[in-house]
This record gives sequence, C-alpha cells and structure tokens, in this order.
Amino acid sequence: MIGTMRIAMVLSALALAGAARADGDAVRGEARFQDCAACHRLEAGVNNVGPSLHGIFSRKAAEIADFRYSPAMKRSGIVWTPETLEKFIGDPQAMVPGNRMPYAGMTNANDRADLIAYLSKASQ
Amino acid sequence: MVTKLKEVDVVIVGLGWTGGILAKELTEAGLKVVALERGSMRTSENDYSLPNIRDELRYVVRHDLMQNTARDTLTIRNNPQQEALPMRRLGSFLPGEVVGGSGVHWSGHTWRWTDMEFKIRSSYEERYGRKFIPDDMTIQDWGISYAELEPYYEKFEYTAAVSGNAGNLGGKIEAGGNPFEAPRAREYPLPPLTPILASEMFSDAARNAGYHPFPRPSANASQRYTNPDGSKFGACQYCGYCQRFGCEANAKGSAHMTVIPIAMRNPNFELRTHSWATRVNKDSDGKRVTGVTYTNVLNGEEFEQPATIVLLCAYVLNNVHLLLLSGIGTPYDPVAQQGVVGKNYCYQTGAGATLFFDGKYFNPFMNAGGSNATIDDFNTNWAFDRAPHDFLGGYNVSGGFNTALPIGYRPVPSGTPQWGTAWKQATAKWYQTAMVINASGSVMANRYNCLDLDPTYRNAFGHPLMRMTFDYKDNEHKMGVHAAGIINDIAKSMNPTKLNPAAARTQPWSVVPYQSTHNTGGAIMGSNPRDSVLNKYLQSWDCHNLFVIGANAFPHNSSYNPTGPVGALAYWTADAIKNRYVKSPGPLVPA
Repeated sequence: MIGTMRIAMVLSALALAGAARADGDAVRGEARFQDCAACHRLEAGVNNVGPSLHGIFSRKAAEIADFRYSPAMKRSGIVWTPETLEKFIGDPQAMVPGNRMPYAGMTNANDRADLIAYLSKASQ
Repeated sequence: MVTKLKEVDVVIVGLGWTGGILAKELTEAGLKVVALERGSMRTSENDYSLPNIRDELRYVVRHDLMQNTARDTLTIRNNPQQEALPMRRLGSFLPGEVVGGSGVHWSGHTWRWTDMEFKIRSSYEERYGRKFIPDDMTIQDWGISYAELEPYYEKFEYTAAVSGNAGNLGGKIEAGGNPFEAPRAREYPLPPLTPILASEMFSDAARNAGYHPFPRPSANASQRYTNPDGSKFGACQYCGYCQRFGCEANAKGSAHMTVIPIAMRNPNFELRTHSWATRVNKDSDGKRVTGVTYTNVLNGEEFEQPATIVLLCAYVLNNVHLLLLSGIGTPYDPVAQQGVVGKNYCYQTGAGATLFFDGKYFNPFMNAGGSNATIDDFNTNWAFDRAPHDFLGGYNVSGGFNTALPIGYRPVPSGTPQWGTAWKQATAKWYQTAMVINASGSVMANRYNCLDLDPTYRNAFGHPLMRMTFDYKDNEHKMGVHAAGIINDIAKSMNPTKLNPAAARTQPWSVVPYQSTHNTGGAIMGSNPRDSVLNKYLQSWDCHNLFVIGANAFPHNSSYNPTGPVGALAYWTADAIKNRYVKSPGPLVPA
C-alpha cells in the first residue's frame, strides 16, 4: 500500500513537472468535473463552498470580490491558465500551501487534461 | 397577543432530516408547506467551510450547533423515587438546533434495523418462551416489517450517499459485507470508505477469532456522487472533523445540502427560522389538530399557524415534550402502567477498551465519520444464543476512529497521573500510538424508564420542562459483561504494549459525560392505541391529521445508530400522506 502510494507520488510529481497536455477530451472532462461540482458552479456570480468557475481562465487567483479566499490563495500571485490550473488541481496543497479547498488532488494526468479541456469550454 | 396567520396545508415543526424529507416530498406533491425551525439558517458555504469549521472549542465544547439549555432543557433522575433536577449543560446527548438539525453534526452511520427489532417480543417469546422476558421489560412489536421498509431504506441510502459493502444481496451472502444483515435489493450507492490502520488491525483480529468484520456503512461519500435528486457530493477527505461538525467537503449526507435546498426552491415551501413551537392546538372535540402556536425567539412575538396537517419533526425528546404540553394522548404513568405518551424511553449502553502499541502510528487525526470496522456476531446474528448469558438484544463491536480531536482526544494508559509532567509525557507518547475498540449495545424498554412533565421546573416560555427518568437495568449490565469479555479477548489477541481493558458499566446512568445522541421512544408506534401513540404510518391514534416522525416512534433501542430507520420512516410516512391520506383524510389504520 505504502509502496503504491510512493510510486503514485513520484508519477504525479513527474506529471506536475511537465506542461499541461493539450489533447484533453472535453466530454470525458465533464465527468471529471463531478469531482468539483459539489462546491463549484459554472454560472457567473454563483459562489458556493468554492468560488464560481465562470471565466476562470481570464482571472487572477482570489479575484472574485465577494468570495472569502484563504490568505494563502490571496498571496499566491497565480494567473489562472490551463497550465497553472492543471498544476494546481494535481496537488492543491503542494502549489498553494495553506489554501482551504478540501480536495486531495486529481492524480491522473489524463483526467486533468480532460478536465481542463472541459473547463476551457464550459467556463466561458 | 397571538397573531393568527393564514391556514396552510402542512406545518412542519423542526427542519432536520425528517422535516426536510417531508418538506421536499409534500411540496413536490403540490401541498403548501410551512416549516418552523427553532434554530438559525446554516449553510455549507457560509458556516461549514474551511478554516472556521475546524473549531473544536466552538462546536464540541460550546455546542454551537446544539440546543440552548438556557431556553429549554430537561430534568433528570434515575428512578421515580428521586427528585429530578434540571440539566444545565448538554452532555450525555446533543440535540441539534439549526436548519438541518442533528443531521448536520452526525457521523453518518446508517444501518438497516431488521425484524429482529420490529418483531422483538414475538421472536423472543417464540424462541425462548414468555418467561425469558422480565416482567418489567415493556418491549413490544412495532407493527411494521422489514419487507415494508426495505424500499424506503434504499431511498434514504441513495439520498444520503451511503458508502458500504452489501452483505446480503437478495438473499445471497456477499463477501466483505455484514453476513447477518437482512436481504437488500440493491448494493449501497457507493463503495466502502478506505480503511485506516486501526480498522484493518481490528478486522484481522476479529477474523482470526472467527467473527465477521465489515466496513461500517456511513453517509460519508467515498467518491464524488450525485444523488437521485441531483444533489452533488464531494469525496470524503478523511479530515477527522465529522461528528459534531458540518462537512467542509459536502461529503457527509445531510438534509441541509440535499432535501432542504430542493424544498426551498419550491414556491410551495416557506421556512421560518428562530420559531419555537410551544403547542399543537386541537379542535373542540379533540379529534383533530388545527395547527401550531409558536414564538419568534428573537423578539418574543407569538403566532398561531393553522394547518390541515401537522407534522412533528423535531428532536425525539422535543416531539414528546410538545405532545405532553399540548395534552394530546394520555400521559404514561410508570406506577399504574397506564397511558402511552412518554412510555418506553430508551437509550444505549456500551463498553470500550483502549489499546496502546509502542511504535505503531495510527494517525488518529485522519478519519471519516464511518472509519470503523464492525462485527455484528452478537447483534443481528440470531444464531447467537442469548440464553446462557441471560440477556435480550445485542451489541455491535467496532475498531477504528471516528473522532479523535486535538483538545479532547488524550489516550493514556491506566495509572498515568491526571496532570503534570508525567501526564504530558504520556499524552505526547501515546497520542499517535493508541486505538480503541468499542461496543454499542441495545437498551430494552423498561416500565420505569419514561418521560413526563416536571412538576417544579419551567422553561423560558413558562412551560413545564420535560422530566426524564432513566437508568440501566440488569439486562444492560449482563450485556455489558458479555461485551467487555469479547472486546478484551479481541484486544489481547492483538498483543498491545498496554491495554486499558473494557469493563461493564455498574454505576447508575449519568447525564454528564457524552454517551450517544441516540434517544428513542416516548411517542411510540404500534398495532393498537392501547399500547402506542402512533400507528405504523407514525399517525397519531388520537388525532388523524397529526404525524410524529422520528426515533420517538421506536418502541425500544437497538445497538445500531437510529438514522437509517428514521430516514426510511420519513419517506414511508411521506408516501402514506401523499398517496393515501390527502385523497381520503382519516385514520390510515383502523383503531
């Protein structure tokens, strides 16, 4: 069990080092988005436990005025692009330590590519 | 002055799991529904999100989600010879007081109670003879069967995102589940939670001893999930803040993130928070109820809300209290053994051991509400012969953690000083390296365990407090001895460095330490009005347009957590109201 986890961690570290894959499948990505849907909406201005993801790829981190972000996210200086979001969602606490999103990370690189492909369309 | 409001179809008192389920189902059926909730509005996004929710002082020590005892409490005694005194601070049990009720701060354990409970008196009489049941043990059959409830259990499990492993699928015993459970038509909606080290070690030891461990079924979503109503769940993050907290990841099945928001989007529904129901009103001949009188606790204004149907969906004890204050049904007298309202109040019992393993690291701060492996060999296993041990009912045994918080969880071996340097060293040494094995045991109804109105003490509204008379009887003591023996045998087989062994309870029940929020009875269901308050549809025998929904309806308490049958009975009652009562109002069962 521990051995498998170590391998998974090494693999995810390798994946994080690489750039986001451009060939994600948006249809499969819609299913991956169900990981997010308990807390995030795609409609503009609709914040839930997490902030609305509408227009995510044209925003800086912690930019929605009426959402209470963590200090860590406010300090992060991230500009959300397919690449930065792909890296973040793989291991949120590694990229922004102390952020308050209760999600351990999407470890599979193909899943992340699919999710980003879906979000690129659905967040517009 | 009481302001009389416009009549609605349905008024619901209390908006937790049962009120939420009824509100959703009945508004969808076209009825105009008003819900009165004594607590405030709370939501996942505003109240249960990180980092504020992880506040043990606020939620555990100061009971932020629970009943305010300065406004209303109970008086407590162990037997009718004693003078009851008010409980000034919550301890033994923790009634909820927010939108979502106790279903916000529960752990999520979701069991299917079976015909072993529903047919308890007839089953024991048939197998062991009438004399096996003590004269003062007032257990009775419930008037309902597992087969009737099975589809409603399933409906609740799929609504609440229960993770588990079926043990009996349509009569076929399934590997990895509880082999003693009653047959289920479908698997759980989600696979079991990931086991933790403590639950795996317990499972191995229990299996080696010949028992049948299985992962505890819990409404902690093991994966992200969308329920049949479209409510979205995140995956459980094993954060360790489950029991007594709202879920930060929307992973714990709770009414405030499933049925209640659906009702709130329906124009037929209206919620009034901070509304304390003080009385259910009856018409002049006492055959029907006419609505509910309530007080706005923010400003003291009083209102009467007339309604065609009244649903009591408050906490177990508050439902019974409202019946007693409203003069509905005959109050129970434990000496004369007459009357029904307040009868068969039950609780739960237990025993526990703490095991210390030098060098094993359990990471007790990582767990879900249901991170326990459990054995049911001494509970729903009817092949377990109770005769040699001389008790009725049973207990389940579990190993693992479902709450191990930074302030309260300080396991140290027996004999450690309770303060000072030695205590500090021990708590640092053993925090990571201890695990627990616990038994949760049933409590059989007894003629002297009951609820009535206190003759002396009154609440903030000037009404008598409810008085609880409760103690454990011989049956519970004998079961405790048996459970402690089984726990200690399993614990010793695991070769811990040190062991705080389990011991049966011998002291009278105390209201001070937390034990379980599994109070049952007081307004019980049954097959006739002579020995019960409600029929099998939780409809009052006295007033046919009054339904009292919750664990108040259980004629005795099992070893299991109550929310499975509470949720199933809420859906069952909703169907009876929608499909039968509304079309032809009147008693659904002839008296």
